[in-house]
Amino acid sequence: MFDTALTLNDFIFLAKGAGMTIFVTVISVALGTVLGIVFGVIRYQLGPVWSAPLMFVLDIFRSIPLLIQLVLAYAFLGTVLRLGLSGLSVACMVLTLYTSAYCAEIVRGGIEAVPLTLRRAARSLGMSWGQDMRHIVMPLATRVALPSWIGLALGVMKDSALVYVVQVTELLKSTQILITRLQEPLLLLTICGAFYFLISFPVARFGGYLERRWSND
Amino acid sequence: MKTKALTIAAVAAVAITGPAFADKLDDIIGSGKLRCAVVLDFPPMGSRDASNNPQGFDVDYCNDLAKALGVEAEIVETTFPERIPALVSGQVDVGVASTSDTLERAKTVGFTIPYYAFENAVTANDKVEMATWEDLKGKTVGATAGTYEAIWLEGKVKEWGEGEFRPYQNQADVFLALSQGQLDATVSTVEVAEANVASGNFPGIKVVDKAPMVPDYVALIALREEQGLINYMNLFINQQVRTGRYAELYKKWVGEGEPADLTIKGVYR
Repeated sequence: MFDTALTLNDFIFLAKGAGMTIFVTVISVALGTVLGIVFGVIRYQLGPVWSAPLMFVLDIFRSIPLLIQLVLAYAFLGTVLRLGLSGLSVACMVLTLYTSAYCAEIVRGGIEAVPLTLRRAARSLGMSWGQDMRHIVMPLATRVALPSWIGLALGVMKDSALVYVVQVTELLKSTQILITRLQEPLLLLTICGAFYFLISFPVARFGGYLERRWSND
Repeated sequence: MKTKALTIAAVAAVAITGPAFADKLDDIIGSGKLRCAVVLDFPPMGSRDASNNPQGFDVDYCNDLAKALGVEAEIVETTFPERIPALVSGQVDVGVASTSDTLERAKTVGFTIPYYAFENAVTANDKVEMATWEDLKGKTVGATAGTYEAIWLEGKVKEWGEGEFRPYQNQADVFLALSQGQLDATVSTVEVAEANVASGNFPGIKVVDKAPMVPDYVALIALREEQGLINYMNLFINQQVRTGRYAELYKKWVGEGEPADLTIKGVYR
C-alpha cells in the first residue's frame, strides 16, 4: 500500500520510545499527584497568607516553560551540584514538580468544593480532622477533581515530549530520529500521533467511566 | 527561538556556575564516561544505521578518544545550533561534531587543532580527458548556484577567459547534467562527490582531483578554560594521524584517496 523504507526494527524502536514516554509519565504523574495532594492540603489548611511561600514556588513551576526548567535543572544539578544524575532522573524530577504544582491547585479546588456545612456536621459528630478528611472530604473532592486530574495526566504525557532536551529518547524524539534517517515525515508523524492516541485514549475513557460510575451512587 | 532559549538558559547556567572546581580531564577519567556531542544528520560524519544506532566518522572518532582515555563513550545527539549550548550547559564533555574553527566561536568554546578538513573535489564525466584540476580550463563546468564552490568555479572561468560556467538549482541537477554529458566537470565537497559516485545514481562520472580551494577545517571542542583536556585532545589528534587511523577512517567513511592535509604551510599550529 505504502512505498516505505520503514522496517519492523523501526517499529520496535518507536515502541521503545513510546515505552519511555509511558514510563516518564507514570512516574511523574504518580509522584506528582502524591506531592500535589500534600501541597494542596497544606495550601488549604494554612490559608492564602501562610501558604504564600509554597504557592510562590509552585507558581514558578507553572509559569516557566517546561523546556527551560529541564535545561536549567539539568545544568544546575550536573555542573553546579555535580550530582551526575542521568537525564532520565532529571526529567522525572522536573516533571514530578511540574505535575505537583498543577495538582495542588486541583486538590485545593476539590477540597473547597466540599460544602463547609457538611464538614462542620462531621466534626460535630465527633470526627477528628483526619477522619473528616478521610471519610467526608476525600470521596467528595475526588469526584470533583477527577476530570481536571485526567486532563492534567494527559497533558503531562504530551508535555513529556520535551524531555528530549536532557537526552531521553522518548516517542517524539524516536520519531525525529527516524525522520532524519528515512525522510518520510508525514507517514512517521502519523504513526507517532497514532501511538500517542493509543496511550491517551484508554486513560481518557477510563476517566469517563469512573466519572459516570461515581455519579450514580 | 528554541535555540535561543537554550543558549540563554545555558549562559544563565554558566553564570551561576562560577569557576570549575576540578580538571575536566580528571572528571572524565574519574566518571569512566566520555560524553560526545555528535551531529547525526550529517553523513558521512554522523548518521544512523538501519538499527538506528549512531555511525559515522565522528562517532568512530569519539569512540577512539574514549578508548584512548580508557573510558566508555556516550554519543549525545545534537543539532548544529545546539552543539555549543550542549557543551556550555554541561550536557556533554566534548564536541566531536565537525565544528569549523572560526574565531567568533573561539570566544565561547575552546578548539583543538583541526581533526578533519572538508576539501573540494573535481568530478568529471568519463568521456572527458582530465588528469588534474587545471584541465578544467576551457571545459563546460557547472555547480549549485550561490555556493562557495560555484563562486570559485565561475571566477576561474572568467579568469581563464575560455570555457563556460552553468549554475544549477541543486546538487542533484548538477550531477545529473554531468552524468548525461551536458557538463564536462563540476566541483563539490569531496564527501558529496564520493557519495554521488558511490550511489550509482549517476553513471559515467569519476572523481578526478582535488580543487585548490581553502578547505573547511573542523576541530574538536571543549570548554574554553579546559586547557588540560584540549591539550590531551591535540595530542590525540596527532596520534590519530601518526598511527594511520585518520586515513583508515577516511577510507571507511568518505572513500578512496588521500585524506586532507591537516597542516597549513607557512604557519605554526
